[in-house]
Amino acid sequence: MESLNETLWDVVISGTGLKHSLLALALSRSNKKILHVDQNEYYGDAEAAFSLQEVDEWVERVNAVSPSNFRNASLWKTTTSNESDKLSFSRAYTLTLSPQIIYTRSKLLSQLVSSKVYRQLEFQAVGNWWILGEHSLNRLPNGREDIFRDKSIDNRAKRGLMKFLKFVVDYENQNELWQPQADSGLAGFLSSHFQLPPNLQNVICALTLSLDAPESTKVSWSLPRIARHLTSIGVFGPGFGAVVPKWGGGAEISQVACRAGAVGGGIYVLGIGVKESNTSSEEAGNITHVHLSNEDVVKTRHLIQYPAARSTDAKAVSKVIAIVSSSLTTLFKNSVEGSPLAAVSVIVLPVSTVIVEEASQATPIYIMAHSNETGECPAGQCVLYATMLYSEHSKQLLDAALDVFLARVEDTPELLYKLYYEQEPEEENEAQTESLDPSLDLAFNDAILEDVESLWKTVIGDEAEQARFMRFEDREGMSADDDELDEGY
Amino acid sequence: MADSTAPKPSSSVKLVLLGEAASSLVLRFVNNDFQENKEPTIGAAFLTQKCNLPTRTIKFEIWDTAGQERFASLAPMYYRNAQSALVVYDLTKPTSLIKAKHWVAELQRQASPGIVIALVGNKLDLTNETSSSNPLGEDGDGEAAEGEDADGDARKISTAEAKSYAEEEGLLFFETSAKLGTNVTEVFTAIANAIPETSLKGARGPGASQAAARTEDQSRVNLTGPRDAASKEGCAC
Ligand SMILES: Nc1nc2c(ncn2[C@@H]2O[C@H](COP(=O)(O)OP(=O)(O)OP(=O)(O)O)[C@@H](O)[C@H]2O)c(=O)[nH]1
Ligand SMILES: [Mg+2]
Repeated sequence: MESLNETLWDVVISGTGLKHSLLALALSRSNKKILHVDQNEYYGDAEAAFSLQEVDEWVERVNAVSPSNFRNASLWKTTTSNESDKLSFSRAYTLTLSPQIIYTRSKLLSQLVSSKVYRQLEFQAVGNWWILGEHSLNRLPNGREDIFRDKSIDNRAKRGLMKFLKFVVDYENQNELWQPQADSGLAGFLSSHFQLPPNLQNVICALTLSLDAPESTKVSWSLPRIARHLTSIGVFGPGFGAVVPKWGGGAEISQVACRAGAVGGGIYVLGIGVKESNTSSEEAGNITHVHLSNEDVVKTRHLIQYPAARSTDAKAVSKVIAIVSSSLTTLFKNSVEGSPLAAVSVIVLPVSTVIVEEASQATPIYIMAHSNETGECPAGQCVLYATMLYSEHSKQLLDAALDVFLARVEDTPELLYKLYYEQEPEEENEAQTESLDPSLDLAFNDAILEDVESLWKTVIGDEAEQARFMRFEDREGMSADDDELDEGY
Repeated sequence: MADSTAPKPSSSVKLVLLGEAASSLVLRFVNNDFQENKEPTIGAAFLTQKCNLPTRTIKFEIWDTAGQERFASLAPMYYRNAQSALVVYDLTKPTSLIKAKHWVAELQRQASPGIVIALVGNKLDLTNETSSSNPLGEDGDGEAAEGEDADGDARKISTAEAKSYAEEEGLLFFETSAKLGTNVTEVFTAIANAIPETSLKGARGPGASQAAARTEDQSRVNLTGPRDAASKEGCAC
């Protein structure tokens, strides 16, 4: 192995999670000397994606002593001898820790475009939203006409719903209507101001992807998220308002961003972490000596790593990744003329949809269904990502939720595989009890980009003014013929 | 080459580059250029170059990677959908073939099962063999002599050793000189020929691949809208 300690690095980045990978992308044209390491043997950190075999190894590590923001991982696999209900080989799967949907209006997308790395990514539509009702699975109305046609909503509620939808896309100009209720629960607000019945309160709250019950989801937090949902539809085509990168969501973005870092001259070393560091003032300025886990000591002007402390009593979430033996085609069917085939579909189980012996479901459960078009599983199967707020019974509740969901969809799919784990927030955050940590958000949270930009400014320093964040020209193709992008025949 | 009126079918092929003295080989193929003491590769996401076969044109999309390769830290996205790989070793370095074998094993673990792998020993100009396939051999002016042994041969890895390994693993095998251009186009032509017709994107004819390509298009979302299509028509911005 070549040695790393002969160079004075401008920046050493530890961790290849989404945030730090995006930082590497942001710095990829800066001509800085960058060393990017990850203690794991894979890219992506808390946003990684795995084959089945890699999941086995991950589960072992999570349950061993090594500190991380994951805990209590457990795995169940089918033992069926039935040929059609069998798991395929390990690498036929890419199960992601990062299935967040990305709203079409997220700055992440515009930054992936302006930094040109979108060319290495393939985006797919998050097409249909469903509510799991008492007796059936109902598609959420997609726009006004849908609402008018919906026979399950009575006329009074229809009027209230229309009034709310008109208000919410303009909420910023109607402070007098909601400011007094800013800290109240969304459910009460929808009931008192718009006469919406509980089932529609659940529908509206589902659009926020809140992990809290509608009663304890704040109005001030909800309105921008509902507005985002509604105004995102149609931005890149009819019938969808969010996308997911093929091959494992956030994990894929992290890999593509790191490659951009490497193409720009950054050096990547997996399987090496930072043990400790100390900074001293030297001739060349403030230099940090970084002790790596391979016993190397490297010198750098900046060290970027995760905060050491994690708050333990903050909100954690429970998650299940399940593989099922059906392509669940009806979930992904186009609902709107001319829309792309959905690769991801969102299923919401409002409060009290499932009950286990000891407890009823006090907070909503979300299931993101990924079709095999996402590249995450073989044809004829689907991957389900279920999430709810952690509680004493969340594991049993998630199991029950999957059972109920699978009983309501076509061709009674079998469960083939189930990974359960719990995830804690990434950062210490006083506001924790109030809202959700961005790393646990079910939709990509643009707050992450603000962190990336401020880290970028720290590293770039005075040059930050003229340099433009995440705006790059296409790399020279260096080809004899750049004239055409011929895709075939 | 005579222009035929009907354009030949053309398809893109992703080729990943691994090993030592590799970028120079591609630079010779793509730009017909060679640099002594070349700096590590920076700034190229990938290079493209066409390869004309009698019945079709293959457009290589060549992925090179200095910063992730040095410490064997490649990501799965690097190998994904690669139809071919070029594993290069420096035939003047004793350890170089061992590293190449590591890359072959990594490809067999991570890449698609049908991937075409070529093993190439580069720097043939530093040996004293007179190669009949060396078009520039005659006017070799002795510059290649640096690093040579007293007998003028810096070779540390025998052709027989590498070749028998390649045969065991089912790899294409060549020895080349990026400096002189020896065997370089031959490597790429051989790879292009070895790629099965069925695995080519955009290849016409029956087969599941076409149906698969159709659904893929159905779920794809274009983030830049129709503007991209317009720029294809060559409008100057
Ligand atoms: N004599 C001779 N030298 C060569 C040949 N090919 C490459 N070299 C030299 O070998 C050195 C390394 O070649 P590169 O092509 O940069 O190797 P690489 O594997 O891309 O290296 P990195 O990008 O730094 O990982 C350079 O100094 C080249 O000039 C060859 O055919 N003959
Ligand atoms: Mg190189």
